Amino acid sequence: MTVGSLLSVAAAGLIAGMALGLRRPRLWLGLTLVATAAGLAAALVVLLGGVPAWEWRGEFLIGGEKPHLLLDAISALFLALLSVLGGAGAAYSRDYWSDTDYPKSAGRGRLWWSALVLMMGLVLTSANGLHFLFGWELFTVAAYFLITLENRRRRVRSAGWLYLAASHVGTLCLFAFFALVAERTSGSWDLGPHLRAQAGLAPLFWLALVGFGVKAGMFPLHVWLPSAHANAPSHVSAMLSGMALKMGIYGLVRFSGWLPLPPQAGWVVIGLGAVGALFGIAFAFAQNDFKRLLAYCSVENIGVILVGLGGAMLAAAHGDIAWGRLALAGALLHIWNHGLFKALLFFGAGSVLHATGTREMSRLGGLWHRMPWTAGLFTLGAVAVSGLPPLNGFVSEWLVYLGLFEAGITHGPAAWAAMPVAIVLGMAGALALASFVKAGTLVFCGAPRTKRVAHAHEAGPWMLGPMLALAGACVTIGLAPAYLWPVVARVCATWNPAWAFTGPAPAPLATLGAVHVALAVLALAAAAGLWWRARANGLRHGLTWDCGYAAPTARMQYTGGSFAGIAAGWFGWLLQTEASLHRPRGLLPERAHRVERVPETVLERLIGPVAAGALRVSTAVRRLQHGRLQAYILYLVVGLAALGVLVFLEGTQ
Amino acid sequence: MTGTLNLMIGLAMGLNLMALGSSRMPSLIRAMSVQGVVLGIMPLLMEHFAWPLTLIAVATVAVKGFIIPRLLQRAMRAANIDRDMEPLIGFIPSLLLGAGGTIAAMALARSLPLMPEHTGSLLVPGALASVLTGFVLLIGRTKAISQVCGYLILENGIYLFGLLLIKATPLMVEAGILLDLTVGVFVIGIIVDHIQRAFDSLDTRKLTVLRE
Amino acid sequence: MTITILGFALRLALWLLLAPLLPGLINKVKAWVAGRRGPPVLQLYYDLARLWRKGVVLSTLASPGFIIAPAVAWVALVGAALLLPLGPGGTALSFRGDVLLMIYLLALARFCTVWAAMETGSAFEGMGSVREVSYAVLTEAAIIAAVLSLCVHTGGLSLATILAPAAGAGAALLAGGLFTVLLAENCRVPFDDPNTHLELTMIHEVMVLDHSGPPLAAILHGASVKLLLFSVLLVQAVIPLGDLSPLAAGGALAGGVLVVTIGVGLVESLLARFAFRQVPFLLTLAFLLCLFALLVAWKGGAA
Repeated sequence: MTVGSLLSVAAAGLIAGMALGLRRPRLWLGLTLVATAAGLAAALVVLLGGVPAWEWRGEFLIGGEKPHLLLDAISALFLALLSVLGGAGAAYSRDYWSDTDYPKSAGRGRLWWSALVLMMGLVLTSANGLHFLFGWELFTVAAYFLITLENRRRRVRSAGWLYLAASHVGTLCLFAFFALVAERTSGSWDLGPHLRAQAGLAPLFWLALVGFGVKAGMFPLHVWLPSAHANAPSHVSAMLSGMALKMGIYGLVRFSGWLPLPPQAGWVVIGLGAVGALFGIAFAFAQNDFKRLLAYCSVENIGVILVGLGGAMLAAAHGDIAWGRLALAGALLHIWNHGLFKALLFFGAGSVLHATGTREMSRLGGLWHRMPWTAGLFTLGAVAVSGLPPLNGFVSEWLVYLGLFEAGITHGPAAWAAMPVAIVLGMAGALALASFVKAGTLVFCGAPRTKRVAHAHEAGPWMLGPMLALAGACVTIGLAPAYLWPVVARVCATWNPAWAFTGPAPAPLATLGAVHVALAVLALAAAAGLWWRARANGLRHGLTWDCGYAAPTARMQYTGGSFAGIAAGWFGWLLQTEASLHRPRGLLPERAHRVERVPETVLERLIGPVAAGALRVSTAVRRLQHGRLQAYILYLVVGLAALGVLVFLEGTQ
Repeated sequence: MTGTLNLMIGLAMGLNLMALGSSRMPSLIRAMSVQGVVLGIMPLLMEHFAWPLTLIAVATVAVKGFIIPRLLQRAMRAANIDRDMEPLIGFIPSLLLGAGGTIAAMALARSLPLMPEHTGSLLVPGALASVLTGFVLLIGRTKAISQVCGYLILENGIYLFGLLLIKATPLMVEAGILLDLTVGVFVIGIIVDHIQRAFDSLDTRKLTVLRE
Repeated sequence: MTITILGFALRLALWLLLAPLLPGLINKVKAWVAGRRGPPVLQLYYDLARLWRKGVVLSTLASPGFIIAPAVAWVALVGAALLLPLGPGGTALSFRGDVLLMIYLLALARFCTVWAAMETGSAFEGMGSVREVSYAVLTEAAIIAAVLSLCVHTGGLSLATILAPAAGAGAALLAGGLFTVLLAENCRVPFDDPNTHLELTMIHEVMVLDHSGPPLAAILHGASVKLLLFSVLLVQAVIPLGDLSPLAAGGALAGGVLVVTIGVGLVESLLARFAFRQVPFLLTLAFLLCLFALLVAWKGGAA
């Protein structure tokens, strides 16, 4: 089958899913799986070089423009991830958001899920500015309805509103961006590599950076991200974090490839990426809400991707192909990797939420006993997201590091950015490790902190299946990274034709893969050996040794707040943690508590006051609008008089 | 020659960081005095031997390395403090500021239009870094004695700048500055003693209420 | 082929067998300074043999991860050690970017130890874990800066190429920075006290309170491999072993490791453990030393 027919099958499946999703869950699931499989196949055909690119131009008008679809390597990279997550999320939602649990919203959820996947696919394949904007807006709206599936809860509604408002600020920038591109290319909305020759388009990159940056959750434009991801249903969070953020990255990759870039672009993007990586993970570490922690970690990973992309832009500006290609390859691979392990982690969080009903880490604990599969898969995801070998997170971060190190070695001006950024990435990596040790162990290890948690249940096969598949993908990419190099090299060549590459992988990915395999095998062998030895020597079970204290309780365990204490203190100026303290008083005190809250600093301390000021001004202006007809007529007369004066003054000159 | 000189300036830069990072007064004073000695020897390495030069160098070493530190130590003992407990800029942030400033000074010195014989030397970055360190200490510390140390390190930076012009300026100017400094520190020592007796504290933040 | 395998086995044996010697030497130095006779140099070997034969007490709260994690950590540490070249012996495996793999293998080991510590649900282990992961943020920055300075100085990206040549003018700075990192990462005295039994003041020792038997042996052996790894890294980063004849290089490496070990012992004898609020300060200092080494390497390369 050709790419075109595969894509038609995918689109048809999704549209049929939208029509049937409300009433027929099983049929919908089948259709969605077929459609995403077709989408994945189409993407793989392009990525593996079966077809260089697939292009289609319609001869009819939609909204005054002829449709122009293009699936080249860059779109295919994102389309593959979209298909995987679209299918996995649909399967996961079967039990997670079933009709029995959520009779009112399950049908709507299916409908909007199909719409979301379809619209993202449209954005990815559209090469016409107007249709790109259509798709973008519809995808934003579909995501809004998915976030607010549980719209009876106030928090969910406000998270949805925040998302919608922030998205529209971004869309406004994109609207200006596409309109100006069209205006400067003699009214054509057609997009493509031909734009690169037009030097006058370079300043428009800043508009695109803001517009796509909002969607990508680029620090400090990430304000909508934590609450939306935390409050959405978990399969939606997985899709938002795994794919919707990447749509912003897609825009940046796409248009940094197609448009000429201003000379400072690389510096700004790599700087924003480094700052986002460190600050995002600092916020993540301080969170007590399980899903909010995952959401903030997405800000960090987007930062890593931006570091790689910014490095590539810098390299392109200075003509350093070798290291720029490595950084770009790392960024591209990290797009996939982050999508895979973040979806896995959000699915794990969803299973925990489903089983216990809480996202508060200080109320969870000891879940491995009840949910061994979820615990194991979450641990795997935690290793991957911390960027540790031998899993996929390390491969892409390693490529980004290699790019930065090589930039330092070349002694070019770009080294001034690359060296500090490498150090910042190292710190962010250590903090990511800390965050995920915190999340994983507080939730799954130790003793259950509440009764409800003690009676949790393991997720069903429909929820574990997608998690297993994603975990398998993480392991595969980690153990065999060399097979991905041709794919990534093809995308690099599409990004910048001068960077086409035919020889073997410049980075020794094959060796790294072999080391990873050896490491995994040895680790398994050592674990089995140690386990066997312990069994052979005699294994006794006893209480945790608490310095001779004989009756430990679950409340004596370390909590999230105390775990983050030291490192969160170093970032206190950024986190602005608010604590309310009730000290124990007197003999035999009855009550004492300390509650800590990490505010959304950027939103509450920066945007909040500005918005409040704007609101005050608008309230003052609003006094003019009081509904009295006489006054309105007065305004009219004053306006006419002012016009008259103007005309008179013009005449006298 | 430049190698030895650069090594000494590097040492002075390290001492800057030590001054920024030390919470105890005696180590702050020691860092400052060792820096004074290092800087005092430097003119001897830069120029051919000449009596007036040697005399000035010896005087600099004596005043910056021994007399002023002794005066400060006495003031410290009189006032009975040996720590700056509540700095306005913490010790780690001031260290990072100092390190960042040093790197920025290096970068800045590259783009300054310097004489060809000074391009390879660390004189300008060292001078800038010392001035910055002095400012950080003056802004960030609350005790009078640590502020005096900040002022002296700032002066060391200016002295390093002066070395750039060692052929052009008579060292008499430097000698004059040195004399001013000594007198200044001497006076401060006495004042510190009196403030301590009068107010039981050396916290300069409390001096804001002393108007007229 | 046989020779490669034989060489590899020899290298592995060298790492595994020599590593437990270092803590013994350190203890001997400490005893000597204090005027005591001290435990025998081979004490850790005896301890390991004894632990290997002992049974395991498993907390009722702990999952199988409690035993799996020490095994994975041990593999990660030995793997990281095998990536390091051994002076004239060269390296078992060298490729561009293996230096980052080494750093991240150390991170994997940290992940496993901390995870296992948190399995028990004990507040003491919690304290140790928090300290470990928090201070690692600063040591990570220092290590990356140190490695970057070596890379920039030599223009290489693999451990074999960056460690062989002379470290240049920044060697003293690098030595100071890396030695401090060594002390922090291996939980030696100004940061942690391997001898204390006050759980409230420890980092590493407190994390392994609940381990026993073979898993504890794996942890202790892994810790000694890590100590040897950092000593070898430090010596090779500072001494230009590549410029010496093979025999001299081997001697210099062994002598250097001995000097580092004695240095650690002397530091432990002469210094007291710092208060915890001073630890970040010391680590920042180590980071700055490495950063200035990077700056020196950068200036040297540009000129």
